[in-house]
Amino acid sequence: MNNRLKVLRAERDWSQAHLATELGVSRQTVNALETGRYDPSLPLAFKIARLFQLPIESIFSDEE
Amino acid sequence: MAGKRKLLIQSAVGLGLVVLAAFVTGGVLGFMNASGQDVMSSSAALWTVGVFAVITMLIAMWVSLKWMSSIDEAAQEAHKWAWYWGGSSGMAVGGALVIMASLPQAAAINIPAWYSDRVDPAAYAATGAFAMLTLMLIGYGVAWAWWWWARR
Repeated sequence: MNNRLKVLRAERDWSQAHLATELGVSRQTVNALETGRYDPSLPLAFKIARLFQLPIESIFSDEE
Repeated sequence: MAGKRKLLIQSAVGLGLVVLAAFVTGGVLGFMNASGQDVMSSSAALWTVGVFAVITMLIAMWVSLKWMSSIDEAAQEAHKWAWYWGGSSGMAVGGALVIMASLPQAAAINIPAWYSDRVDPAAYAATGAFAMLTLMLIGYGVAWAWWWWARR
């Protein structure tokens, strides 16, 4: 699954550590999410969407 | 951060309880031994060591529960993946050794007596269980490292 996490984070000039703190996860988890090698659970996906104030489908995509 | 700090304190308390349980167990057995009793063959030793073993494992489970609930979902997923694939792979290696032990040639193998210099069936059973556990833990460690390495 692809996502725009890295772009959205860069737009806000946030570090991975800052995003990790906001989401309550580790920096390693944020990195795994950004590289698309780990898909978040629904609760975490909703948390990410709320944090960026965007719909989930505009952050995550199942297209290759 | 506060959660990690709390977990570290709880883990230290858990470890302290295990050490305390070992100290009390050793003290009781030492006292009985000093009073001239054949401690290790007595039913009291059986109960003392049995209770110590159960308490130790309960504390270990409690610390594991606290640890697992304190880490985030990706870290939990890494542990679950490592438990299944790493543990199973380690068990597969052990399983191959168990099958090979059925060969008549295996009867000639001299297994070192590491368990209090004992070579009785119970000591060998413990050796086998410990060997299987070690293989599973090695597999677990490798699989856990692989999971994070692939997502770096």
